[in-house]
Formats: sequence, C-alpha cells, structure tokens
Amino acid sequence: MSVEQLSPVAAPATTGAPAPRSRNGGRDGRWWIPWLFLAPAIILFALFKFIPMGNALVMSFQDVQPFLGNKWVGTGNYATMLASEGFHQAAWHTIVLAVGQTVGSMALGFALALLMEGQSRKLGFIRSAAFLPVVVPMAVVAELWRIMYHPTADGMINSIIGLVGLGPSGFINDPDASMASVIMTGIWRGAPYDMMIFMAGLAGVNRDLYEAATVDGASRWRRIVHVTLPGLRSVFTILFVLAAIRGLRVFTEVFLLTNGGPNGSTEVVMTLIYKLGLEQNRLGVGAAGAVLLFVATLVLTVFVYLLRRKENR
Amino acid sequence: MRTHAKYKVSCLLAAALVLTGCGSGPAGGDVEQDASAPLELWTRTTPGGPGEQGTIKLAAAFEKATGHKVKVTAIFDDFETKMQQRAAQKDLPDIVMNDVAQLGTMQSQGLLREIDLSKVAAAKDVSERALAAGKAVDGKQYGLPYSAQATALLIRKDWREKLGLKPPQSWADLAAMAKAFTEKDPDGNGEADTYGLAAPLSTKRGYASWYFSNFLWAAGGDFVADAGGGKYKPAMSTPESVAAMQWFRDLGCKDKVIQPGAVTMDTPPTNETFEAGKAGLYVVGPYLLPRFDKALGKDKYEVMAMPKGAKSAEVLAEGGAVYLMAGSPNQAAQDAFAAFAISAEGQKIGMEGEAAYIVQLPVNTTVDIAQVRPDPRWKTFAEAYQTSGRYAPSLPNWTPVRQASAETVNALVADCSLDLKAELGKLDTKLAAVLTEQGIAAS
Repeated sequence: MSVEQLSPVAAPATTGAPAPRSRNGGRDGRWWIPWLFLAPAIILFALFKFIPMGNALVMSFQDVQPFLGNKWVGTGNYATMLASEGFHQAAWHTIVLAVGQTVGSMALGFALALLMEGQSRKLGFIRSAAFLPVVVPMAVVAELWRIMYHPTADGMINSIIGLVGLGPSGFINDPDASMASVIMTGIWRGAPYDMMIFMAGLAGVNRDLYEAATVDGASRWRRIVHVTLPGLRSVFTILFVLAAIRGLRVFTEVFLLTNGGPNGSTEVVMTLIYKLGLEQNRLGVGAAGAVLLFVATLVLTVFVYLLRRKENR
Repeated sequence: MRTHAKYKVSCLLAAALVLTGCGSGPAGGDVEQDASAPLELWTRTTPGGPGEQGTIKLAAAFEKATGHKVKVTAIFDDFETKMQQRAAQKDLPDIVMNDVAQLGTMQSQGLLREIDLSKVAAAKDVSERALAAGKAVDGKQYGLPYSAQATALLIRKDWREKLGLKPPQSWADLAAMAKAFTEKDPDGNGEADTYGLAAPLSTKRGYASWYFSNFLWAAGGDFVADAGGGKYKPAMSTPESVAAMQWFRDLGCKDKVIQPGAVTMDTPPTNETFEAGKAGLYVVGPYLLPRFDKALGKDKYEVMAMPKGAKSAEVLAEGGAVYLMAGSPNQAAQDAFAAFAISAEGQKIGMEGEAAYIVQLPVNTTVDIAQVRPDPRWKTFAEAYQTSGRYAPSLPNWTPVRQASAETVNALVADCSLDLKAELGKLDTKLAAVLTEQGIAAS
C-alpha cells in the first residue's frame, strides 16, 4: 500500500469525523475492477436488452425488409402511427385500462391488506390463498375468466348476477362491457400483489400513533384516514408507478381474452403493435409504436419521481 | 479517470449498436452453384407432429428418386418471424413449405425466386386454379401449391334427422336449419343450449374475415376487387357485399343462431363448440375430419358442399405451397424438388397415411383422390375445391386486408346496433389506404 493511498484515511482520523471517500476510492490504478464485476451483467443486458432496444429505435425510422435491405423513411413510421385512428383509440383504451386496473387493484389490495393484517396462523393460510391469482400463469387466468364470463344466462357469473335480477351480460363479447370485464380480470389478478406490498407497509406504521388516536377518541375510519393512509404514502407511490407501467404495457390478458375486439373496444397499444409488427410484418411501424409507448412510460415515471422529490423537500 | 472509463464503455456500446443496426448490405445476387449442396427445407407445421413426419417421408422419396439430399426443419410458432431472422442473415433455407396466402408477403420482401415452369415437368398436370394461386400481382410464378383444401358444410346428421329436415339446398334452407337447431332442442335434453352455426369470429389472425369469405364470395361480394393490370379497389360496400354482410349478421343479431361468445373465439374453442354438441353446422376444411371422427363419431355428422349463394357456391380455398427461396446454392435441386412435390408420385406419397399426410387435396389433376382415400367425404371436399374453390388474391401483403375486414365483421356481429352500411363504408376507406400503401390501388 502506498503512502498516498493511506493519507486520505489518516488525515480525517485526527478530526474524529467519518472518513470522506475520495473520488477514486484510492484505487487509481485499477479503475476497471468494478467494471469487471459488472461485466457479466452488462454484457448480458447489452446483448439481450440494450442492443435490441437500440435496434428497435433504428427500425422505427426504417422500412424494414431484412433481405432486400432496410430503407430509411425518416419519421414516416411515426407519422403513420400518430395519424392513425386505431392508435388514438388504442392509446385511450390503454389509459382507461391502466387507470381502471391501477385504482381497482390498489383499492381492493388495500382493503384486503387491512382485513388480513395480523399474526394469527389462520391468516397466513388465507393470505396465501388470496395471493394465488398472482402466481397462476396469465394464460390460465384468461381461460378461467373466459369460462366464467360465458355470455349466456347459464354462464357462471351470469347465473350469479341473475340471482339479484341482473344480466345476462355479454361481458367480453359485448363491446359495451368488454373493457370493464378485462379490467375486472386485471384487478382480480393485481389486487393480491398490491395487498402484499401494503401489508409490508402496514407493518412499518407506528403503533403509537394508533394508540394515541384511539385515546383521542378517533373512530376506526378516522384512524385509517389520518394514520394509516399518511403512513403508507411511499408505498402508494411505489405501487402507483409499478401498476401504471404494468398497465401501459398490458398485453397478455387482452390478447387472450378479446384480442382487442369486439369492435376494437379493448384494443390497447401493445396488441396494436403486435398486429402491425408481427402479424402484418410491418416491423418499422410496429417499432415506432413501441418507441412511443416507451417514451410515454418514461415520461410518466420521471413525472412521478419529480413529484415525489418535490413532496419530500 | 472515471469519466474516461465511462466514456470508453459507452463508446463500446454505441459501436455495438451501430454494427448490429446497420449491418445490412444489398441482398441476394448470384450465388455460386453447387449441384451437390443439400437442400434445407422449412415447413410450417408442429415439430414432432404428423406434418413433420409426412414432410420427411416426402423428402426421403425425393432423395431416393433424384439423389439430392434434403434436411427438413419443422417450425410452427412464429414461423414468419424466424424466417425474417434468417433473411436478415442473408441465409435463407432453400425450400419453404408454407401457406399459399404468404406468397405476397414473401415475394414483396424479395425472399423468393421466380419459378420457371418449363423446368418443372409436372406443372402441365397441375390444376389451373392452383397454378394461378401461385402467381404474384405481377403475374409471375413465385409459388407452387402442392396441397389444396376448400371448405364444405358439416351438419350434425343425427340432429337433422331427428327434426326431420332435408339437407339444405339454398341459403334460406341453411338459415332455417340453423334456426331449427337453435330452437327445437335437437339433442333432446330439454334445455335451450344448442345453436345453429359454429363460427370463429375473433379478430385473432383475422379469423372472422377468413370465415366470412365463404359467404361473401358466394353472394357475389368481395374484399377488394381486381381492377386489372395488377390494381385493386375496395369492394366491401358494393350492394353484393352489403347483402352478404346483412345476411350473415342476421344469423347472429336477428335469428341468434351463432354460438354465444363467437366474437371472442378463434378456431380451437369453435371446434370444441361443434364437437361438444353445442352447434350443429360448421363450415370448415377437410383437415378437421380426423379430429371430429374421433371426438364426435363418424356417424354423427355429414359433409356436403355449401349450398349456392346469390351468385355462386364459391368457398374459400387455401393450402400449402412450395416456395423456392432466393440465394440458394443449388437451384437445380430446388427445381427438382418443386417438380417432385407436384408430380403424381409426390402427391400420392403426400396423401398416404391415416394422419401423417401433408397433401389434403391433390393439385395434380392426374391423381384421383378416391383411389388414395376411399372415404367419399374427401370426394366432396375435392369437388368443392375443383368447382368452387377460390383463393384470396396474392396482394403484396394480404394480412392488413384480412385484419381490417375481420375487425369490421367482428364489430357488426358483436354490436347489433351499428349501422351496417356506414361500417362497411369505413372499412372501404381503410382498405383503400392499405391498397395505396402497397402501391396497388386502382385510381
């Protein structure tokens, strides 16, 4: 070990303050060591993520014809995408679906978390049961709901709502009910996930505050509003960002339940990109749609991040 | 120091991006020929399934007859995407056996080489209909259909006899039968749980349009009409198309004889609808016969040609084609394979077997289906193909047409309050844009 390397540590020791780290951590000759440790991840990410993403960006400016050679078309693909009525509708549906699923899952997840908070052993079992929808593969969930949504009066959900004089509804087969039905499926699947995160958050809320509120005569409802909710603010932010991103990228449930139909009432951006890029083989236009979706997700994330930073200040 | 390292890494990444992003040179060109080079054959069928076995059998017979070696690869999921990847590497397989409907897409992407029919001896025996389906919009031959199929009407025979109905001779009979199947409890279980027509009307892969074409063409309508000189114009709002759509829509909206949930069903759940005894009529190709024989029983249903519509009895024809891919080092062997696949010998080998057959209906007119498959139901399909089979036109990219029309058919059946003419008008606007984008719109 050289003298220079020792000196930054030695100097502050006399003042008693914690040692400030120098910019290079005193390892000037071996700057590449951290990169070496990062290399496996960087190489894998580059190969399977960053380079394909870069390719997609390049493709979004091209007429993609792998064999004849791609042609540059400038912003033509973006113009096609942005001008098409289908994209506007899909974007709107995506927002509706994302908001519906996010709000629904968070509300239901929060309610479930409040109900299942506690130490009892039985609760553990119920919690696992409630968490089941999250671990079931989406393809199975979609098939399950397709059966439950059977559009005749003897369909499962229809026969239940028939007991109270409602229905029969067409659910995913009815353009007016299809979006709500897809949102419903999403909530059923997403809520338990939110529940778990809420429960982790609930454990961190200061018990003393509950006791103080009870002593002050606060009702159960007021305790939730004035103690629990403020205590979970950071959890809400995280969940909101995660759910919103998940909502914008929604694909599997829509693809399997309705494939955007009936009458395009559930077409979302991802199903549209799939149709344009992979089914119609217009990879350039599809890539442009994917880039637009990425930008939207990025903007949303940055926006929430900034909002949160402002709040914390 | 650290910024320097960061800079290096980002440079490296950028270089990698540039390399992969822009590594596309000019395509094809003349490849040095090697008469002993083995052929690489890709076929769109389930790996390990009967289709693969059938193809291997054909390839082995070809090898024996000509001495050219063939390596068969079966791919089903994402076939087109995987082919695009090979195209990007400028190393296509030599032969591709895929749907004839893919011709336009592959040809417009430059993946195919023209087939010189003078080098394919058996071409003179191939039916006109099949040969024409292998031509692109420019009139040149780019594909050689080796297997054909047309749709016919499947009827629950036991239901029909129980209700004392005659086989339908017209569309009116067909609609009446569908109504009777829906309302008169043909399975006798005392519940109103049966329907007339099984129909896959999901937008997935354009199923709704694919199914509706059986009715549209017979009524004299069309998706896009040939305007001559390789140009097309949208035709979904012509009086014939409107009438066809109205008739079909009434089945769902007025008579309510189509199985519930049809608008979100692709073929697998629709097949189940028919085999589970929920619907008594189904318009499909012969490839489903083995499946229904097993699930439903051969005696429970019958096959007949679709009754004549307002104009004709035209039904959807489809099938597989042999494509000779660009850039092959052994063009002589490519030609030889195409010739073998459509020769009488190749067709017979393709048709043999209980399940592992790759030729549904022969395209070679010298082959009599009854000799290879004595089952008379196959004869019905063969006749439907020969007299009334109609292929989708070979546009540079047929998929957008099929998808746009599938969305409209799906919408009109799903939402009975929509204005039919207005929706078809909107569809024509979309189709016009599709045709313009592909450079084949008639002015």
